[in-house]
Amino acid sequence: MGDETTTSLRNFFIFNPTLGTKEGEELKKILYYHPVTDHVDVQIKNVGLVEGIINFTGTFGVSSDITSLHTQKTRQIFLEAEKNFWMVMILNVPMTTKVKDGVSSPEYLEGAIQDKVYQSVLRQAYFIYRLFWNTFQNTTNKDGVDALKTRLEIFYSAYLKSLKLAHADILNIFSGIQYLPLDKLTFLKVQCLINGLECDYPQVTHTAFLYNDHLIWSSVEPSDMQVLYHYLISTLLPANLEVELQGGSMQRHSTSPFSALRHGRFVTGPSNLKNAKTTGKVPRIYTFSGPTASCYHLIVYRVLSASLCLFVKAEKELDIDFFRKFDSYISPKLTSLVSDIAEYCSKQVSSPSNVPENAPKFIYFNKFNLAYKSTVHLDNKQSGNVTISDEQLKIIADLNTNGSSIEDSTETVVKTLNDYWVVAKTSNYREFYIVEQQRNAHLIDISKDIKTICETELKGIFFQPI
Amino acid sequence: MSYLDVEPGAAGESLLLTTDTNATFDNQYMSSSLEEIKNEIEPSETEDSNNESISNVTTYEENSSPMSVDNEDHEDRIQDKKWALMDKHIFVLSLAGKPIYSRYGNEDKLAWLFGVMQTLVSFIQSNDDNLISISAGGINFVFSIKKPLILVAVSRKQESVQQLQNQLNYIYNQIASMLTTSKLIKIYEQRQNYDLRRLLTGVERLINHLLDFAEAEPAFLLGAVQCLSLSSSKRSNISSAIISSCSKIKNIVFAILLANNKLITLVRMKKYSLHPSDLHLIFNLVQSTESFKTVESWAPICLPRFDSSGFLYGYVSYLSEDCQACLLLLTVERDAFHTLKEAKQRIVEKLRRNNCLEAINESLAKPDVNCAESGFLEVRHYLYKSKSTAQFYQPSVSPPYNKYGQVLTDLYKRLHQGLHCSARPLKLFFERRANEAIFAWDTVGFELYIIFEPLVETGNVVAIITRLLNWMKEREDNLFHLQVPTF
Repeated sequence: MGDETTTSLRNFFIFNPTLGTKEGEELKKILYYHPVTDHVDVQIKNVGLVEGIINFTGTFGVSSDITSLHTQKTRQIFLEAEKNFWMVMILNVPMTTKVKDGVSSPEYLEGAIQDKVYQSVLRQAYFIYRLFWNTFQNTTNKDGVDALKTRLEIFYSAYLKSLKLAHADILNIFSGIQYLPLDKLTFLKVQCLINGLECDYPQVTHTAFLYNDHLIWSSVEPSDMQVLYHYLISTLLPANLEVELQGGSMQRHSTSPFSALRHGRFVTGPSNLKNAKTTGKVPRIYTFSGPTASCYHLIVYRVLSASLCLFVKAEKELDIDFFRKFDSYISPKLTSLVSDIAEYCSKQVSSPSNVPENAPKFIYFNKFNLAYKSTVHLDNKQSGNVTISDEQLKIIADLNTNGSSIEDSTETVVKTLNDYWVVAKTSNYREFYIVEQQRNAHLIDISKDIKTICETELKGIFFQPI
Repeated sequence: MSYLDVEPGAAGESLLLTTDTNATFDNQYMSSSLEEIKNEIEPSETEDSNNESISNVTTYEENSSPMSVDNEDHEDRIQDKKWALMDKHIFVLSLAGKPIYSRYGNEDKLAWLFGVMQTLVSFIQSNDDNLISISAGGINFVFSIKKPLILVAVSRKQESVQQLQNQLNYIYNQIASMLTTSKLIKIYEQRQNYDLRRLLTGVERLINHLLDFAEAEPAFLLGAVQCLSLSSSKRSNISSAIISSCSKIKNIVFAILLANNKLITLVRMKKYSLHPSDLHLIFNLVQSTESFKTVESWAPICLPRFDSSGFLYGYVSYLSEDCQACLLLLTVERDAFHTLKEAKQRIVEKLRRNNCLEAINESLAKPDVNCAESGFLEVRHYLYKSKSTAQFYQPSVSPPYNKYGQVLTDLYKRLHQGLHCSARPLKLFFERRANEAIFAWDTVGFELYIIFEPLVETGNVVAIITRLLNWMKEREDNLFHLQVPTF
């Protein structure tokens, strides 16, 4: 074994074949192309291949919005994100150098890239764009192709840098949401706060409430929340946390060291309410679960670990007065609520240290509410910080991919080449994956273990007995 | 479960060449075997013989009927739609894009499509890369580039890319078995634009049959051969009848006796062994050629895994009117028809005297027991492959699968793919579903695939497997061919 490379991005481009139908006008089709260093001829060739493949598969009546092309050295994923708008992601297949008889030759690890995982990565790349800029077609109709090109350039040049392709895994497929389960009383308090808020501020049409990376309440449709949630926890909130740690935008107007912390502030909106003259930067976002796209101002307000997201119709003008009033209205209420939640959580958390090292690790996903839970992932930064081996993690995605779509409830037990066990259980749109760290266990032991884990971890969750 | 050391059908020495099923992908063809055999006796053998034998191929060709094409536009469109939605397309073309074979439709009408496929392949090659597969909407498009041919599969079935590649390999080997790979390469070296179909009349029928055959027969999936159940004494009687009848004839490389897609015996020259995939081609040839039943034949056959550069000559004949077992005597001599014909007569006489014909007929008439009959009520069906001998055993198919063979085939494909996925192979795979519980296990010595009743208890599964292995162990002399008879 010599040099090794990981999965990396080779190309990323967006094109619309109807924009340059004449010969010699091929370049007009291309709306965005990465990297810019590729020669124009190479760009045209790459786009041409995608069109060729799509036409070829079309001959056989393929009508799928997503296609994967496997070559020895690359994996190419084509997504028809909107009619005639194709997004293409080309990945370099990881490679190791094999030395045989003194001669080293590259070996491409085709199996290391799992189609379904990277298809999800590409879809996600589209959804995040659409969250801020509405659809490609909408921009083309309203502002023209050149405006679309500029927006794509601004958005994707930054977005592609943030992609963590080497550590994409089963969680990308789920693209799920972590919820924070609360006791009835605390949850009721959250409900009261939000209902009161929506009553007192009728311009707020929807709200979402998060504690750390966990969602507690949302009145946004799940399909929209799914995209927003990922933007919040992977981009907006971490970036804000960094600012906070550097002590930049904190208001320090009180003498008590703790009182500062008890006050909330706007993550999006004016950073310093006292001196601010403008409303600061409030992003506009689009939701798509209704019959037409709706546009909102997204205001995020944060107290300690809690983040409150307010959706205000884009037509409404926001002024600094609103922010000031809202701050004084919500700050005390939220502060006391957050301490209640924090108290509840501290009682619940089982610290990782009292869980035995070789206890089975699991991932749970519910398709209905998009909830997921994982003891495999130590953070949700997609940094590869996981408690099981890469192979085991990939086997989970294999089981998800190969799982029968027709069967309603299945239980699959597999044993890997190095004697670890991985179990997949699906029932009633829930998926549950367990990795047994116990080597040399017996099939019978495993089936007993699964029962125990299901009882302790998923108590009350409906699994059809099989 | 490694404490189980029962390993039915295992043997130190194997009748067949044993390689992992996966190894079929790297295609290490032996190419010196024929030369060796010839050189031992007769040092000079000319290239020309190959050319001549190509024309011989046509002697056992049947009429292949080209699909009739309706000229009306409307009809055409309906045809096109039907055509596009076929379960599995197979295309073979030359590197230059000349159509050679299409499973459905007329190649000439599809010339443009062959052109597209060739362009895609060469376009990606121009980037110093290779096209492997495309997947979209549940359809797999698999490309296999084997100089000088390109083979393409378009499948809507639940098959993995790996399994499709394996099937394309078989098709390539089928073509090679009619022409030899050396000849194939030479043709295209001389004329890139050659229309290979001229040389391959009759092969179309073999490929068509091979595709259906490979679909239904687990042998192809497992890379193994099933033997006809016979007592070991009868089987060795048969082998020795063949050996003694051929003892004076030089250069017989293999003698193969088969019936009903099962091997009865295989006698081989010392030093040389037969790869299961070559034997599958022979099974396919026998199965798809009705005329063997009525006329004894003489045919050149190239066995690509044995030696892809030249032909063996095969005397093919069914034993007798009253025993439908087919005998193949394969030699390197081009003109041994009459010698082998006489040998066959001696073999049949001996077998008749030893009551071996009766034994074969009896075994053919009596179907294998099914799982319930052998006392495994929770088991619906299973496949057992002994790795050391490349042989497998399956009980006869019982309800519910006797009417739904495709369901069973798909289940086994799923299990096989579970174990043998090249990126992440597994040792064991056990899945409970609404309709059945399916199990696969890969050990050092064997592979076992079982379809259980859906409600079988996990604790029972282990006990049943142990019983099943013991059951086969007790009968291994009958179910497997454990001797290695040689000339």
